[in-house]
Amino acid sequence: MICGLSQSSVRGTGKTAFLIHRKVTIGMKEKTFKKISIFLFLLPALLLFIGVLIYPIIMSVCYSFYDLRSVSTTGMQWCGLDNYKELFTSGSISFWRALGNSLLLAALSVFIQLPLALGLALMLGKGIKGERAYLSIYFLPVLISTVVIGQLWRKIYNPDYGILNAVLSLLGITNVMPNGGWLGNEASALWCVFIPTLWQYVGYHMLLMYAGVRSVSPELREAAKLDGATDAQVDWYVVIPVIKPIIKVSVIFAVTGSLKSFDLIYVLTNGGPYHATEVPSTLMINMLFLRNRYGMGSTIAVMLILLCFAFALLINWAFKEKDIYGKKEHVE
Amino acid sequence: MKLKKVAATLLASVMVLSMAACGTGSDKGGDGKGGAAQLSKDDKITLSMWCIATESDSNRNSYELAIDEMKKEYPNITLNWEAFENQSYKTKIKAAVAADELPDIFFTWSCAFLGDFVKSGKVYCLDEAYKSYASELPEVMMGNSTYDGKHYGVPLTMNIVGLFANMDLLKEAGYNEIPGTYDDFIKCCDALKAKGIMPFGCAGSETWCVTEYLESVIEKSIGADALNDIFLGRATWNNPDVASAVDTFQKMVNDGYFDPNGISLTNDEVKANFMKGQYAFYMNGTWNCADFAGDANFFPKVKVAEFPVINADKAKLGQLIGGPSDTLAVAASSKNAAAAATYTFELGKRICHYGYLDGCGLPAWTPYGDTSKVNGLTQAVAEICNKANGYVLFGDTAMNADEANTYLDYVAQVYGCKVDGAGFIKGLSKDIR
Repeated sequence: MICGLSQSSVRGTGKTAFLIHRKVTIGMKEKTFKKISIFLFLLPALLLFIGVLIYPIIMSVCYSFYDLRSVSTTGMQWCGLDNYKELFTSGSISFWRALGNSLLLAALSVFIQLPLALGLALMLGKGIKGERAYLSIYFLPVLISTVVIGQLWRKIYNPDYGILNAVLSLLGITNVMPNGGWLGNEASALWCVFIPTLWQYVGYHMLLMYAGVRSVSPELREAAKLDGATDAQVDWYVVIPVIKPIIKVSVIFAVTGSLKSFDLIYVLTNGGPYHATEVPSTLMINMLFLRNRYGMGSTIAVMLILLCFAFALLINWAFKEKDIYGKKEHVE
Repeated sequence: MKLKKVAATLLASVMVLSMAACGTGSDKGGDGKGGAAQLSKDDKITLSMWCIATESDSNRNSYELAIDEMKKEYPNITLNWEAFENQSYKTKIKAAVAADELPDIFFTWSCAFLGDFVKSGKVYCLDEAYKSYASELPEVMMGNSTYDGKHYGVPLTMNIVGLFANMDLLKEAGYNEIPGTYDDFIKCCDALKAKGIMPFGCAGSETWCVTEYLESVIEKSIGADALNDIFLGRATWNNPDVASAVDTFQKMVNDGYFDPNGISLTNDEVKANFMKGQYAFYMNGTWNCADFAGDANFFPKVKVAEFPVINADKAKLGQLIGGPSDTLAVAASSKNAAAAATYTFELGKRICHYGYLDGCGLPAWTPYGDTSKVNGLTQAVAEICNKANGYVLFGDTAMNADEANTYLDYVAQVYGCKVDGAGFIKGLSKDIR
C-alpha cells in the first residue's frame, strides 16, 4: 500500500504513466521532427530572403557610414553620420526637394489614383455589360513595359509633333505650352511626369479592389436594398467597409510605390529639368552610378527603406478602427 | 594619298594634346607582363566584349566589319559581344566593375571615366601588348588612357566638336559660307532669325549636348590652355573670363538663337530636326558625319567648320574641343587577359579603320588601305584638325564622375538661364574645388 492505493492500482498507474510518458515522448519527437521538417523546407526560401533582401540592406546601412567614392571598396573611409548630415543639409543634393516630390506623388496617388480605381472597381463590380473587356483595357497599362509607356508619353508631350499640342489646338486652345515644352519647364514637368505615373497603375489598384467588390456577399447588398438603400448608399455603407482591408493594402502599395517611383520618371525626364522632377530613387541612381558616390547612394537607399517602413506602419495604424472605448483595433 | 597625308599630319598635330597623362591613379590591375606579342592562331579561346555600338549607333557597321575580319583572321578565337545603349551602359559598366563581373574586353571613355576603374585595380595593363603596335598607334593617342605612365586603353577614333551648318538655310539668309568671325556669325544668326529660321537646336535633356556649345564658347573666349587648366584642376573655376564667356552664351539663348523647345528634347530629336531643315546650325561631335553622309538628301546641304573666335586676345582658331575618348580596355579579371590585350589592339585597329571610312571620326591609329572614299565631311574635319594647335577634352570626360556631374548640373542651369556667368563660376568654385 502506498498512500492508500493497492499494489495493482499502483502498478496500473505506473503503466499508465509509462504509456503517457511514451506517448509524450513520441509526441515530442514528432513535434521536433515536424519543426525540423518545417525549418528545412523553409531554409532555402530563408537563405534566399536573407541573401537577396536582408544582406543588401545590412550592407547598405554599413556603406552609408563610409565615404565611398570609387567602384572599389578599398580605400573607403569611415565618416560616421556625415553622409546623413550632407544629405539633409546640402543644397546641391536637394534631397528635400526629391522627398517633397515623392510625397506629393504619394498624396496624388491616394487622393486621385485610388478613388479613381475604386470608382471603376465599384462600377465594374456591378456586373455591367462588357465587364471583362473593360477590365482588360484598364489593366493593359500595367502589363506594358514602363520604358515603352515612358517613350509613348514623351511622344505625347513632344513640343513639335506631340498629340497633346495637337488635341489642344483642335480644341482651339493655343499658346498654352510653357516655355521649354511640357517636359522642359520646371512648373509643368512635375505634373507631366505624375499624370502617366498615376494613369499607369489605376488598373492595378482597380483589379485589387474589383476582386474585393466581387467577394462582397450578394445577401448583404440585397438586405441593404430591401432596407431602401440606393446603389450609392450600398457602395458607401456596405461594399467599401467590407473591402477596407483591400483598400488598406492599395494605400500601402500606392504610398510606398510613390516613394520608390523611379522608372517612368527616369525615362521621361531623368529628374530634370534642374532637378524639378527629382525623386529619391533618381537621386540615388545619380549618386551611385553617375557620381560614383556609393556611400551617399547607400545613405539614400537606407532613407528610402526607413521611409517606406514608417509609412507602412503609419497606414496600418490609420486603418485601425476605433472600438466602443475609443481604442483602435486592427481591421481584418 | 592626300587623305593619308592629312591623317598623318593630324596625328602629329595632336602632339599638342595637353591631356596626356590625365590620370594619376595608383594602379593595382594586371601588370601586363607576358602579353602575347603575336596572337596565337591555334589555342581555342572564347572572349566576351561589351560596347555601345547598338543597331542605331553610327559605329555599328565598323564594329561588325572589324569583328567579321577578326573571325576570319583568328578562327580559333570566339568573341561573344553585346552592345548597350550609351546612357544605360554608363550605369551597367560601373555596376559590373563594382561587382567584379567585367567581360574580357569592354568599351569605355578615356581619362577620368576609365581612371576610376584603373584606380580600383580592375583594368589590365596593356604595356606589354602595346610594344607590338607602337609604330601604328602613336603614343600621344594613348595619352588619355595612360595612368602613372602605364597604358590601359586602346583608342579607337578621335572626335572634335564641329559646327555643322545647313547651307540651304544659310543661303536663304544671304550667306554662302559659314561666317568665320564671331561678329559675322552673330549677324548671320540675326539674318536667319529675320527669315524665320531658328539658328540653333540643342538638346537640353542631355546636358552633354549643351556642353558642346558652352565649352566651345568658353574655349574661344579664354583659350584652350586656360580651359584645360580648369578642367584638369590646375586652375580655379573662379575666373571672370569664364563668367563673361558664359554670359556670351546665355545672351545667345536669350536673344532667341536657340529653339526654346530644345530644352526638353533628346539629342536624337534635335539631330533629326536639324536634318529636316528646322535649324541652321548644330554643334555636336564629328561622329555625326557618318549619319549625315548616310542621308543622300541632306548630305549635299551640310558643311562643317570650327566655332569662330570670340576673344582674339586669348583664343585663336585651331583650338578645338575633343580628342581620342572612345576606348577599349581589358578586364584584369579576364582568364585570358594577355591574349585579350593583343586581340583588343587588333580589333581596335580594325574598328578605327572602318569607323574612319564610315565617317564616325578621325583615326587614332595610322590609317592603312584605301581611304579615298572617306566622305567629304569627315575630310573637312580632318582638315580642321590638321590646322589645330590645341585640344581640350570634353569637360565631362576630363573630370572625375562627381565633379563632372556637378559641372553638368551648372551647365544645365546656364542653358535654362537659372544662373548667370557670375553664379556659374561662384557655384563651381565652391562645389568642385
